[in-house]
Amino acid sequence: MSPAASDVPDRAGPGDRAVLVLRLAAPLQSWGAQGAFNVRDTRPEPTKSGVTGLLAAALGLPRGAPLDELLALRMGVRADVPGTLLRDYHAVSDFRGHPLPQAGVSAKGVQKPTAPAKYTHVTSRYYLQDALFVAALEGPPELLNRLVAALRAPHFFLALGRRSCPPTQPLVLGIENGDLESVLRGLPWQASERAKNSYARKLGRRRGLDGPFRPATVPCSVTLEHADGDDVLQDVPLTFDPHDRAFLGRRVRQEWLRVHTGFSDPDAATEIEADQDIHDPFELLGR
Amino acid sequence: MTLLPPRLYVDVHILQTVPPANLNRDDQGNPKEAYYGGTRRSRVSSQAWKRATRMHFTEYMPADDLATRTRRVASDLTCALRTRTGLEEEPASRLADALLAPLKISAGRKRGDTAYLLFYGRRQLDNVVGLVGDRAAELAALDDKDLQAEVEQLAVEEQFSTGHPLDVALFGRMVADIAALRVDAAVQVAHALSTHAVSLEFDYFTAVDDLVEEERETGAGMIGSIGFNSATLYRYATVSLQQLRENLGNDAAAVDGTRKFLTSFARSVPSGYRNSFAHQTLPSLVSVVVRSDQPVNLVTAYEKPVAPSAGIAAESARCLAEEHRTAVDGWGEAPAFSAVCHAFRDETAQCLEEAFGPAVTFPELLNGLDEYLSSAIAEAGR
Repeated sequence: MSPAASDVPDRAGPGDRAVLVLRLAAPLQSWGAQGAFNVRDTRPEPTKSGVTGLLAAALGLPRGAPLDELLALRMGVRADVPGTLLRDYHAVSDFRGHPLPQAGVSAKGVQKPTAPAKYTHVTSRYYLQDALFVAALEGPPELLNRLVAALRAPHFFLALGRRSCPPTQPLVLGIENGDLESVLRGLPWQASERAKNSYARKLGRRRGLDGPFRPATVPCSVTLEHADGDDVLQDVPLTFDPHDRAFLGRRVRQEWLRVHTGFSDPDAATEIEADQDIHDPFELLGR
Repeated sequence: MTLLPPRLYVDVHILQTVPPANLNRDDQGNPKEAYYGGTRRSRVSSQAWKRATRMHFTEYMPADDLATRTRRVASDLTCALRTRTGLEEEPASRLADALLAPLKISAGRKRGDTAYLLFYGRRQLDNVVGLVGDRAAELAALDDKDLQAEVEQLAVEEQFSTGHPLDVALFGRMVADIAALRVDAAVQVAHALSTHAVSLEFDYFTAVDDLVEEERETGAGMIGSIGFNSATLYRYATVSLQQLRENLGNDAAAVDGTRKFLTSFARSVPSGYRNSFAHQTLPSLVSVVVRSDQPVNLVTAYEKPVAPSAGIAAESARCLAEEHRTAVDGWGEAPAFSAVCHAFRDETAQCLEEAFGPAVTFPELLNGLDEYLSSAIAEAGR
């Protein structure tokens, strides 16, 4: 178990920037970006709109409230356990037993009934299962302190992207001094003991060892907000007003960080050795 | 948002064992699943259990106190106008359309339909009829323009944005194009997950043709298979008392609503394949924990799946007790109130007592919660 939130000292100094670290974990999470109508997708990692929504819910902001203060926080997300995609099948019917209308409309803008009659409408909701992310938010310490208090006594329910995905505790890992990147680099791997051990066992087997192989570091992908980033993510909400949904883009940089695994007895492997964990198709043939 | 104190979250933790069953199926017809802690689990979606809860309400609450989720709000209103005012079909229907016009709900393909399912209370509809009062015939005689002007004087929207029935107040309502009709849900329900690893089983069946058998021929009339699994599920939901008071506009109604939600959430089971598997069970443990800081989901107790050798239900209960103690010690404040009702004995019962207090019966649990919430609200009001 990772350290409990209340044990994490507030290491923010007097500087004007600090980093709030959140642990986003639950059996299911869903960070929709483009999904509408029948397909509700999820991004492979938390979106800025999702995390901003979580913070706004904690603060108790009404839906139309301006979000400038929260959007100004620079966000970085580290995928400690990326999880896998789950498609949830969800059927919708007309309760009177009438056939459903066609998806398309005629020239008059009218939906014709389906022929042959179709009674059930299928929607797909996508979730990430068994995933764990670290979201770091860089901004003024005063705001971050306010957010920590709100997250520990939230005004509205908190959810990881969708209401049926309540977060597990600890959600708040604390406030750290330094910049976004160094905080994400320095924070040890947050995977559960169980996930860590199963990773070490798998790595040991892959190397033909008798026991588990516990490397000192593990590669984790990170997405950092960066003015010169190569990628653009279209997930910055203007407001959460349902009448006025619009999203702006933000530039991000994607990279891999070597994160400390926190194994009490790491195998004396250098980081370079851990890097050599590459796919060798000839392994199957034996040598 | 004008949510009044006290801020109280009522966490509900339930352990329930279901025999071979298929409560909630996916597009292949198999029970829904998810991976957690690296192992495959049985899953029942939050939507499925919310509907089961709502259906359970109808067993003991008068239909007038409940909501209808339908596209037929206009024809429903026409019907209510006809019975209450004695208008004929045609003028009643015209008056209903005029009354609903200020709401600007997009019309559906068929006359009398709306474009989507509107979730509203029977009483709210009666109140709209009440606005018209004795003037129904007089209003129906007006021409379109005058009728529109008269209807604008009546507070129709207000009737739909106050006095919500319990199910709307609990589960919320999302009306994309009319912000005033939106109700924020006061309850958050997580997907139910099995506490242990589960694998999908298939029941291969053959159906025998009685007449063919009499003629001493062999072979089945038909064959098929049904996917199923059996699981001890961890179910979690949390009620925001503050939000429920806001939605119901009344302290006593919020306390009573929490009780009704708890009753129906605990006692309901989704009905998928019920006649094939008779899976209607009752929970082996129901625990409520009231917290004044934040809701705490204890599903992490099962990140490491419970091993079958240990006796799954009892071991699940012990894990829950331990996780609750960790949660209280590690983060979050001590709960303001906690109670448990369960069917375990010996060591397991002792673990549960240490974590949640002595075991009580389900009615005692409800009464205790009721009493606690009422006094907390009274104290905050002072």
